[in-house]
Amino acid sequence: MKKAGKRKSKISTKIIYIFLSLLAVIYLLPLLWVIYVSLKDDKTLFVSPWALPERPMIENYTFAWTAGRLGVATLNSIFVCGITLVLCLLIGSMAAFAIGRMRWKLSGLMMTYFLTGMMIPVHCILIPVFTRFSKMHLTNSQAGLILPYLTLSLPITIFIMTGFFQSLPNELFESACIDGCSIYRSFTHIALPLSKTGLFVTGLMTFVANWNELLLAMVFISEDAKKTLPVSLSKFVGPYNTNYSQMFAAIVIAIIPTIIVYCLFSNQIVEGLTAGAVKG
Amino acid sequence: MDKLLRDKKAIVVFVAPAFLLFTFILFIPICQSVYYSFCEYNALTKPEFIGLENYKQLFTIDRTMKIALKNSLFFLVFSVVTQLIAGLILAALLTNIKRGRDFFKNVYYLPCVLSSAALGLLWMFVFTPKLGINQILAQFGIEGPLWLMDTKGFIILPMWVIASVSLWQYVGQSMMLYMAQISGISSSLYEASYIDGCTKAQAFRHITLPLIRPMVATAMSLNAIGSLKFFDLIFNMTEGGPNHMTDVLATHLYAQGFKYFKYGYASAIGTVLLVMCLIVTFIINKFVKVENYEM
Amino acid sequence: MKKKVLSVLLSAAMVASMLVGCGGGDTPAAPAADNAGSQDTASAGDEAGGDGVQEITWMFWDDLNATEDLISIGYRDTVERFNKDYAGKYHVNVVTTNLEEYYAKLNALVAAGETPDCFIVSPGPNLDVYVDPGVAADLTDYLKADGWLDTFNGGEGAFSQQTYDGKIYAVPLNIAAACVFYNTEMFEKAGITTMPTDWQGMLDACEKLQGAGYTPLTISAGTAWCLSMLAGYLCDSEGVDLAAIDSGNASWLDSNVVNATNKLVEISKYFQPTAAGDTNDVATANFYNEEAAMLIQGSWAIAQINGANPEFEDKCGVFAFPGTDGRVIAKSDSLAMSANTAHPEAVIAFMKYFTDDTAQKYTAEVGGKIPVTTVEYDASKAPAQLEYVMDVFGNAKSTFGFYNESMATTEAGACFDDAMVAIYLGTPVEEGLATVEDFYKNNVWNK
Repeated sequence: MKKAGKRKSKISTKIIYIFLSLLAVIYLLPLLWVIYVSLKDDKTLFVSPWALPERPMIENYTFAWTAGRLGVATLNSIFVCGITLVLCLLIGSMAAFAIGRMRWKLSGLMMTYFLTGMMIPVHCILIPVFTRFSKMHLTNSQAGLILPYLTLSLPITIFIMTGFFQSLPNELFESACIDGCSIYRSFTHIALPLSKTGLFVTGLMTFVANWNELLLAMVFISEDAKKTLPVSLSKFVGPYNTNYSQMFAAIVIAIIPTIIVYCLFSNQIVEGLTAGAVKG
Repeated sequence: MDKLLRDKKAIVVFVAPAFLLFTFILFIPICQSVYYSFCEYNALTKPEFIGLENYKQLFTIDRTMKIALKNSLFFLVFSVVTQLIAGLILAALLTNIKRGRDFFKNVYYLPCVLSSAALGLLWMFVFTPKLGINQILAQFGIEGPLWLMDTKGFIILPMWVIASVSLWQYVGQSMMLYMAQISGISSSLYEASYIDGCTKAQAFRHITLPLIRPMVATAMSLNAIGSLKFFDLIFNMTEGGPNHMTDVLATHLYAQGFKYFKYGYASAIGTVLLVMCLIVTFIINKFVKVENYEM
Repeated sequence: MKKKVLSVLLSAAMVASMLVGCGGGDTPAAPAADNAGSQDTASAGDEAGGDGVQEITWMFWDDLNATEDLISIGYRDTVERFNKDYAGKYHVNVVTTNLEEYYAKLNALVAAGETPDCFIVSPGPNLDVYVDPGVAADLTDYLKADGWLDTFNGGEGAFSQQTYDGKIYAVPLNIAAACVFYNTEMFEKAGITTMPTDWQGMLDACEKLQGAGYTPLTISAGTAWCLSMLAGYLCDSEGVDLAAIDSGNASWLDSNVVNATNKLVEISKYFQPTAAGDTNDVATANFYNEEAAMLIQGSWAIAQINGANPEFEDKCGVFAFPGTDGRVIAKSDSLAMSANTAHPEAVIAFMKYFTDDTAQKYTAEVGGKIPVTTVEYDASKAPAQLEYVMDVFGNAKSTFGFYNESMATTEAGACFDDAMVAIYLGTPVEEGLATVEDFYKNNVWNK
């Protein structure tokens, strides 16, 4: 009986692995294709899209890097998105803590209030925000980009973090309270460390969203030296035709920092997972 | 304890920064945008108040709006249902395997960290008849369909294609949220259940599912709002074409506002979108979210 | 007590934000005159930093460093030349976006009272948008002041698309004409010796090419304006009068429009099989990679064709679209000046650099577009196809704009484009045209 069960589970494990592997192929193949296309030139791309390039066009990368000024753009993106990330996690989880953990009448209303921010398309608020920022001389500056990014990231941070704070066990806070722990201390020393996984997930989500944001960056920043990565990528789209292979090269370059940040964060999430002891 | 949690000063300190930022940078512009929806406004001249005219046109005359509403609702249902099922399955499978968990998780989450604009372009390439899948199918003597240009049927083929691509892109996010929540479940619960003779499937059904229910509501709301606001992939794959057949609310809004400079009209579409999001979030939270479990 | 204070505070903030939100309605789009003040302070700051140098901004829709578009590269040279020649007096800063976000950014800048001193714009309804509210300045006096106008080929006639009530609001920089590009080798092998001059001739040529095993025509229905360019030629040759339609004296369901659309359906069987899904880039690549015999495109495609496949230049011929009674579709890039600019002289000096002999020579010899001035250029240096295009353009009895840029609004043009694509994809002709008719009923004729 027991043996049969074990064999069955072995077979099912195999099936699971085959399924997961096939899925992984569907995920990786298109992305590998991007790298592949980035090594061709436009002419052969259109004649024989799947044929191997005669020789890899490394110059696509050097051109993309120099002409697109991707170096400066990457630094700008890191600066803007990094600051946004830190501020957003701090301010967002503070508000989430108050909404999810503390007891006050308006907390539900406040949550709904923040939630509306997730529901409005950024196109609708572009002109009002831009005119206001222009009056405050915030356009064409990185602060002028960080502020809207931060604010647009807040609703989703608050939304997810509230959920995490709500699911924390009550006993911890009660015992802390008995020990004479202040509310601020219980936020920084109990709530935050325990919701590490949540912070990493939301941090990753908002960082990635800001990293890839194009419209606001395009409209708010005029000076070439302050442009962010997505704006620089769009430089390869011409009015009448597009340099696809160079653009794909630029896309590959732009992906690399995201992957690094992603690996840093996702491993933390894994840590959270194993710490959470899901016995398998 | 209770007194501590009712500390008004602390609440103000915690909420104020987010509240002020949100109010001045997001909420006031939203109100402004709602006001514009009652105006004829092209951003170059003063808005002119015209009452409900924009909404009247939107719901009676505008053909594209009907298509966009249909497509957006299709998207909403498709992505909420598929993301919930696929996300849960993946999360369940991944938490239960030992080897390669990190690898698979990272691979499935990968598209979420890439720009949807770039991915949209990539998939547009893949579905272009001259360049992508159809060339491979042709090797086997199969004539592939016009993936992004076919216009037959109630929900046309391009919408299914785009919806599948969006599932491909975003299912990692749902999976990750569920996994993050599962990681918070105390291991003692599982141990107790195994001692009681539970199988893994039973443990998932009776322990995991109820305990991650709040996260299901969260992830579903995120999906629902995200799918109603869905823009990047469609814009880069079809730009709403052919003949507006793949337009959704956000692409229609973009075309009206930024191609034809009808900001007032675009704001009206935005307001409709906002109201729809509010309704859907309300429904989800009403029916999915139950009393919080004390763990 | 504290609770009360908090809730009062909260609701006060909400009410306040509502009020500001609604009241704010008229602040961002303050009328043009009000913006002059902020414009002045902004430029004053620039001047202080630049030692009395007048700083102006020019907004353009292609990045000047990353571009491979030869015309854009020419603009880059012009900017450099201007900044060098006027060093210490004027300086131009270039602000670029890609075409997709161009008007979004331009309009946001206008709404905020930061209209760039000089900006590029397509003529037609796009320019209307800036002329009507007074965003673009009247340039007539500057053009007439010192004989600048006379350098243009055709004098005031060169400004037909930029003139409103006798006043000129933008300066064209170069002209592209829509022609039929063809593969001379394929035509020879198919036994076509004389170029088609009428509709039947065009169909016969297509038939012969198809008989010889070639794809007669490559076109993009995925990029709607490409198909619409062909539709525009067909409508014009059937005598469709857009002005009459705009004023409500003719209809989209008139027999001439129906005939033109039927012709489109008729010729569509000669398109490449993937036309429905091909983008503009793919359709053009089909032509220069010698997979199709003809391409109907604007002459800007010359640079793209020769750039991607230099050997093809010798094989590429050009003829005027047949059966149009000598009418040719032409499109020009135009520069407009902000009505609020603090330094109109600098902007005018800058504009003149685009239409001086150096720039116009470059336009023809390198860029492959038709110059707007009467400049003498070395035809042997120019791409071979330009000469043919010049012939087509020179022999034209009259020109007309891009069809979708000649209608009442940009949206009307897009509606026409979409209808043509829908008809190509199988919508019955009458049904497709009815959507355009409905659009005009609801948005144009009732205004």
